[in-house]
Amino acid sequence: MVSLTATVTGKRQTQRPAGRSIGRPGLAWALPATIFFALFAVVPLVLVAVLSFTTWSGLGSPEYAGFDTWARVFQDPVMIKSLWLSVLLTVLGVVVQTPLSILLGVWAAGPQRNRAVLSAIFFVPLLLSATAVSVLWRALLDPNFGVPSQARWLFGDGNLFGTQTAAIGVLVFVSTWQFTPFHALIYQGATRAIPQVLYQAAQIDGAGTVRQFFHITLPQLRNSIITSMILMIVGGLTTFDTVLILTQGGPGTDTTISAYYMYDKAFKGFDFGAGAAVALMLVVVATVISLVVVRVSGYDKMAGTKEGL
Amino acid sequence: MKKRAWFPRAVAGGATLALGLTLTACGGDGASAGGDSGTIHVLVYGDSANKVEKAIVAEFNKTSKVKAVLDTVPGADYQQKLQTVINTKQAPDVFFNWGGGSIQPFVKAGLLLPLDDFIKKDPGLKDNFLSSVFNTAVVDGKSYGVPMRGTQPVLMFNNKKVLADAGVQPPQTWDELIAAVKKLKAKGVTPIALGGGDQWPTLMWFEYLYDRVAGPELFTKALGGDKSAWESEDSKKALSMLKELIDAGAFGTNFDSVKFTDGGSPQLLASGKAGFELMGSWEYSTQQDASPDFAKNDLGYTNFPTVAGGKGDAANVVGNTNNFYSVLKKTEHPEAVAEFLKLMYSDDFVKQQLAIGNLPTTTNTTKFLDTADNPDYLKYQFDLVDKAPSFQLSWDQAYPPSGITPIHQAVQQFFNGQVDADGFIKAMQALPTS
Repeated sequence: MVSLTATVTGKRQTQRPAGRSIGRPGLAWALPATIFFALFAVVPLVLVAVLSFTTWSGLGSPEYAGFDTWARVFQDPVMIKSLWLSVLLTVLGVVVQTPLSILLGVWAAGPQRNRAVLSAIFFVPLLLSATAVSVLWRALLDPNFGVPSQARWLFGDGNLFGTQTAAIGVLVFVSTWQFTPFHALIYQGATRAIPQVLYQAAQIDGAGTVRQFFHITLPQLRNSIITSMILMIVGGLTTFDTVLILTQGGPGTDTTISAYYMYDKAFKGFDFGAGAAVALMLVVVATVISLVVVRVSGYDKMAGTKEGL
Repeated sequence: MKKRAWFPRAVAGGATLALGLTLTACGGDGASAGGDSGTIHVLVYGDSANKVEKAIVAEFNKTSKVKAVLDTVPGADYQQKLQTVINTKQAPDVFFNWGGGSIQPFVKAGLLLPLDDFIKKDPGLKDNFLSSVFNTAVVDGKSYGVPMRGTQPVLMFNNKKVLADAGVQPPQTWDELIAAVKKLKAKGVTPIALGGGDQWPTLMWFEYLYDRVAGPELFTKALGGDKSAWESEDSKKALSMLKELIDAGAFGTNFDSVKFTDGGSPQLLASGKAGFELMGSWEYSTQQDASPDFAKNDLGYTNFPTVAGGKGDAANVVGNTNNFYSVLKKTEHPEAVAEFLKLMYSDDFVKQQLAIGNLPTTTNTTKFLDTADNPDYLKYQFDLVDKAPSFQLSWDQAYPPSGITPIHQAVQQFFNGQVDADGFIKAMQALPTS
């Protein structure tokens, strides 16, 4: 492969004078992405910020309300609770999914014979929409006709959507079921890219599988772990469809996370000012968390893992 | 090389820009829809009942010079779409709604046409409908809607077989209900199926009990802005009776994980795992679809039990009174609209509604009940609604839309014990009122 590329480049070089054409691509190449980003991300964000200082029911024009909307939002116990719930769900998601997907990804990267078939099956949830997944699990977890009715020893009376602990457990479980394959895929690719020489050297030194995993695989996966965690955090904070279908924020307000609360305020209660304020709070919290993760993990520096090879 | 590359770049950039502009321009196009001369636009909730609306529109267009155009918005997004479109150029002339709180914000914004002038010219637009239903779309003393589909009262459904096995008669009074609950529980069945996950089935219990204990006036007062109504003795009594029922184990322990909408609670009733279910009249068609044998043989129905010493009339009902057509003030063809609305009490309309299982609320409905598939059930309902001194619209539809979620949360939290009576009263007092 390497030699092939080399010959092709070589040919080109004979036809055209080398040098200038390899320079940085012009700014114009960034134009489409920039325009789309501006139109569909920056402009709406600014509009939402403006909207959060108004009251608007969707009828007529928004009326300027100054900081009233914000004062209302900050005094709203459900709003504060929803931010904590968002963070809690995200943290639980990361804590549960990361170890699972590392193990699965590393396993799927191996040379086993049944691996291809099993991982193909395992990646099926990834192909389903979050809505389909939620509807499916809602039916499977029905207390009278679903799995809980056959496994009383585990589920008790099967009131999985009736208590906060159980409802959060279900949400974490369903998103784990759905997204672990995706993160496993990241780890599978990253594991395959670890140079074999490292393992060969370790074997010569007498390191077993477990030691190899902890001292070679894990450190080599460092950057992938950070990537995957950031994806999980962003995904976790913006979770919406699973909550909408599985719990509708219930019981009471016990699983009303910020993204759902925003929808509820804006599109069910037609209080777009408050909805915009909740959305903006979520943006702020998500930005702060991302910044912290990037700083703590050194994602911005992203030192290579192949030094000395 | 460098110079030539500008061409594709410019094309790509230009195309993107153009694409972006067309996307943003979408909102501006098609603005002429409502303003076409000679047409009225009728916006309805898109579902299987649309075939009647289509037929009615076709019939109207046969004779009218001004043509009606039927626009449908599919599914649950109807209210959201309506809210965004109603104050724009694309707004319809006539639109489907649930009366009560669903049109109140539009009335306040001065968008709707009071129908009193139409009624003056043709009193039939009011007199040909059952008054308990027609009154749902009266706001501040003015009529804003004409009933256009079927009525859906809430009834107490039961599984005859389960009741017979436990030696229970369908309860006529609250005390009989409590006794029935205890007997059914002793038999090992969940006395009452409840789709608490949907929250609105839970609300039905509050609506009926408040009506029986305090009469419809309490809720009317509260909705009108008198928040002290929620703290009244009657309100507290209704809540304590509900609490008694819940504590007696009437709904089992896992009702919050059960839904009506995914078929959970109807299946509980049909399979004999539960004895009763309080549900809208659509329970019947739901059971016909899911468990036809059960619907035919063992599905019983009664009115909600009476409460000894209660102020409410035992014949009162609650539920969805009907759907309505309301008219926008800015319509250019009010005469044509009035003609269109007259079709809502025509014989043809009634026959077609009955054919798809809806129960229209016109005075001529009784003439055609025998032609329907299940005349007994329809006659029972029609009588109930006809004789009801008060037909209370579901609370979550009587309040403006911003009250829906708080109401649903409050009833759920009261049923699962997260808030007590005082907490519930506070939550209801915090609701936005007119």
